[in-house]
Amino acid sequence: MRSRWLSLKITLGLLLGVLAHPLAASETQRCAVDDAGKQLCLTAAAQRIATLSPGATELTFAAGAGDQVIAGVNYSDYPPAARKLPLVGNHTRIDVEALLALKPDLIVTWVTGNPPAQMELLQELGLPIFAIEPRTFDGVSSAIERISTLAGTETEGFAEAERFRTDIAVFSEQYRHAEPISVFYQVWETPLMTINNEHLIGKVLQLCGGVNVFADMPRLVPRISPEVVLEADPEVILTGSVEGARDVQLDHWKSYPKMRAVANNNLFYVPASPISRPTPRLLEASRDICQKLDIARDR
Amino acid sequence: MSILQTRDLIINVPSRADGFPLSICIESGQVWGVLGPNGAGKTTLLHTLAGLLPARSGQVFLNNQALIELKRRAIARQLGLVFQERQDSFPATVLETALIGRHPWLSPWQSEQATDLQRAQQALATMDVDHLSERLLSTLSGGERQRVAIATLMTQDPNIWLLDEPTNHLDLHHQVKVMSLLRDQATLNKTVFMCLHDLNLAARWCSHILLLYTNGDACWGEAKTMLQPSALEQLYSQKLITVEVDGAPVFVPVCAGQ
Amino acid sequence: MMRSLLALSVIALVATVLALAIGSVTIPPSELWAVIQGKGSMLHSTLVWELRLPRALAAFATGGLLAVAGALMQVLLRNPLADPYVLGLSGGAAVGALLAMLSGMGALLISGSAFAGAMLATVLVFGLAHGTGSWTASRLLLTGVVVAAGWGAVITLILALTPSYKLPGMLYWLMGDVSYARTPWPALLVLALAIAVIMPLARNLNVLARGSMQAAALGVSVRPLEWTIYLLASLLTATAVTTAGSIGFVGLIVPHMLRLVLGNDQRIILPASALAGGILLVLADTLARTVIAPEQLPVGVITALLGVPTFLYLLHRSR
Repeated sequence: MRSRWLSLKITLGLLLGVLAHPLAASETQRCAVDDAGKQLCLTAAAQRIATLSPGATELTFAAGAGDQVIAGVNYSDYPPAARKLPLVGNHTRIDVEALLALKPDLIVTWVTGNPPAQMELLQELGLPIFAIEPRTFDGVSSAIERISTLAGTETEGFAEAERFRTDIAVFSEQYRHAEPISVFYQVWETPLMTINNEHLIGKVLQLCGGVNVFADMPRLVPRISPEVVLEADPEVILTGSVEGARDVQLDHWKSYPKMRAVANNNLFYVPASPISRPTPRLLEASRDICQKLDIARDR
Repeated sequence: MSILQTRDLIINVPSRADGFPLSICIESGQVWGVLGPNGAGKTTLLHTLAGLLPARSGQVFLNNQALIELKRRAIARQLGLVFQERQDSFPATVLETALIGRHPWLSPWQSEQATDLQRAQQALATMDVDHLSERLLSTLSGGERQRVAIATLMTQDPNIWLLDEPTNHLDLHHQVKVMSLLRDQATLNKTVFMCLHDLNLAARWCSHILLLYTNGDACWGEAKTMLQPSALEQLYSQKLITVEVDGAPVFVPVCAGQ
Repeated sequence: MMRSLLALSVIALVATVLALAIGSVTIPPSELWAVIQGKGSMLHSTLVWELRLPRALAAFATGGLLAVAGALMQVLLRNPLADPYVLGLSGGAAVGALLAMLSGMGALLISGSAFAGAMLATVLVFGLAHGTGSWTASRLLLTGVVVAAGWGAVITLILALTPSYKLPGMLYWLMGDVSYARTPWPALLVLALAIAVIMPLARNLNVLARGSMQAAALGVSVRPLEWTIYLLASLLTATAVTTAGSIGFVGLIVPHMLRLVLGNDQRIILPASALAGGILLVLADTLARTVIAPEQLPVGVITALLGVPTFLYLLHRSR
C-alpha cells in the first residue's frame, strides 16, 4: 500500500513538475506549487507582484521579475532598487487596504512569517497567493524558478537559479576536504541563542567544513546555556553584525580567555542580512564564513 | 499630670458653618463625655484633639505646648486613642495587637521586653480577653475586639485617654467594667475624654459633659449642670422622661405614639 | 522567631550549593568539592566560579529584592494583593529597556535605561498621587494602577513598531530572566543596605499595617514613613528589574507565604522575605537552566510553577 501511494505521489509530483516546466506549460496556464504545498495557476504572467517579506522581495527580484514588483514591506531593502517600492506595512501586520489598492495579480508571501488570518482574508478576496520559505540551498533555487514561472521571466530566473546551484556546488567541492573545525554560531546574545543543522546557517557552516557544536539540537533556533558553549569549547565563534551598529555581541566571551576561540582570537562577525535570508546572497555569506573559517584554520 | 486644652477650636466638619468655638480645659482626674446626635462631629473632635486631623481654626495644647509643634512620638507617650473603626488587612494575634501599645515607648532597635509583655498580658486579663491571646483578631466577636482595643490603650498607658464609643458592642457587664476602669484611671490622675451614645452611661460615670449640636454649637461643663432634660431633648430632637435610680438620673426616650 | 531566620539561612546556603552543583554540564560532587578547594579542572572552575556563582548570587539578590519590595508595598497600601509592580514601576523600567534595545544600545545602557525608566515611573506616580495634597493609600494605588496601564500600552506600541529580529530579546526581557544579570554585586549591595535601613523601621511598619490613623496615634510619623517605604520599595524593584527584567510572582507570593507561617511581624517578615525570595529564585533559576538542558527556560515560568502549589498548600493548611 505504502509503496503504491509513494509511487502515486512521485507520479503526481513528476506530472506537476512537468506542468510547471516552462516548455511544457501551455501559453494560457502558468502553474507552480508553493512551499505550503498549494498549487497556483495563473492565466497570464503576473505583472503586478506584491511581496510580503524582505526575503520574498529579494527572491522575486532574483527571479528576474524586479520590474514587475509593485509592493514590499518594511525592511524590503535588497536589491537597492527594492528600497523605492511602495510599502504595505510590516510583514507581521499587512496593510490590506493599501495592498488591495495596488491591485496585485500575484502576492508572494512567507509561509511562517505572515499572519495566517490576514492571509486567509486575502485568499477569500480571491487574490493569487504564492507562499515560499526555502529551507535548503536547492529550495532557494527552486523558489526562484517557480516565481519566475509565474512572472513569465523564466529565462532570467532559471539562469539565476542554476548559477546559485553551480556556485554552491563549487564551494561544496572546494571545501569537501577542508579540515573540520568546530563552530558556535551565536544568533542572539541575551538570551543566548544558536541554530541547529536544519537551519540554513547551519547548512552554510557545513558547506565550509565547519562543525556546528549544536548541530543536533531538537529545535531550529534553541536558547542555550553559556555553560555548554564553554564545555564544547568551539574553535570559532561567529555572529551576524548588524549594519550601522558596533560589533560588541561577542565581547562577553572575552571574559573566558582560556576558550580556544578567544585565545586564538577567532571571534568573527559576518554581515547579518545575507546570512539570515534564504536568497542567492547566501553565496556572499558562505564566501564570508568560509573565509573566516580559513583564517581560523591558519592560526 | 496632663492637661489638654483647646483655644477657640473649630473642628473641620466638611460643609458646616463654624459654629461655636471650643475653649475647653480637660484636666487630670476628670472623665469627659461628649454627647451629640449622629454627624455632630464627635469623632472629628476626638481626632482633632489627638492631632490626627487639622482644625479649621484655633489650636489644641498638650501641657501648654501647641500640639502641631510636637512630634507624634512625644504626643503618643502622653495621649492615646481607641478608634471606633479598626483596620485589619493583615492577620494579627490578640497579644501582638495589645503589644503595639508599647510602640511609642520603645526605641527603633529595641524589641519588647518582659515588662512590656507583662503589661500587655495584664491589660488583656483586666479586659477578660487574656484567654484569647493567641487567637487571630479577625476571629473575635465585635465585643471581644473592642475589649482588645481598650487593652491596647491600657498597654500604651498614656496620661490622656481619648475613646470613641468605648462601650460599642459590649455586653452590659463589660460596659460597666469598662466605665469603672475609666473612672478608676481618672482617680489615678489620668484624663479620660470619650464620645458616648448612651446618655445614662454618661450620667452615671462622667464628671464633665460636652454637648455637640449638629449645627456646630456646643456647650460644656460639669455633668450635674449639663444633664438638663430640656437641653438633651433639644440635642437629640427627642422627648425624654427622667427618673432617678441608684442616685443617678436615668433618661428614657418617649415613644412617638405616646 | 530567630530560629526561622536561621533555618531560612541554612536553606539559602543549600540552594546556592545546589545551584553551583547543577547545570547543563554535569559536575560530580567530588569534582565540585575539588573545584571549591581550588583544585578542579579549568573548565569546571570556570563554570562554577564565573558562570554559576555570579548567576546564583544575582538570582538570590533579585528574588530577595522583589520579595522585600512586595512586603513593603503590601504594608504601604494595606493591600495584601499589592506586588512590587502594582504601581507601574516595572512598566516604566520595561519602556526604558525596550527603547534602549530598539535603538540598539549595549547591555549596560539597557540596564541604565531600565533603571531610569523605573525611577521616572516612581516620580510620576509620586507626583500625580501627591497632586492636590489629599493623599491616601487607595489614591496612590489607583494612580499607580492607571499609570501602569498606560505603560502597558506604550510597551505594546514599542513591540508593534519593532523589527521582528529584535523581538526575541525584548520578549525575554519582559518575561524576566536572570541571564540578563551582568554582575550580582549592585543588587546584593542594595539588598543589604535596604535591610539595614528598614530593620529599625520594622516595628513602625507593624503599626502602620493597622491603618494610618492607628499608627499616627501610636506615635508614627505616617506621611514621612509612607514616602520612605514607597521610595525604598521603588528603589529595590528598580534594582531587581534592572538586574533580571520583570520577574513576576515572587514579590506577591513570598511575603504571603511567610505571613501564613510566621505571622505578620515585619521584623521577621522583612529579613525572612529577603531570604525566602532569594531561595525561591535561586531554585527556580537552577531548574530553568536544567529542566530541558542545554536549552533554557525563562525563570518566570518556574517561579510560578513552584510558587502556585506551595502557596495554595499553605493557604489550605492555614486557619
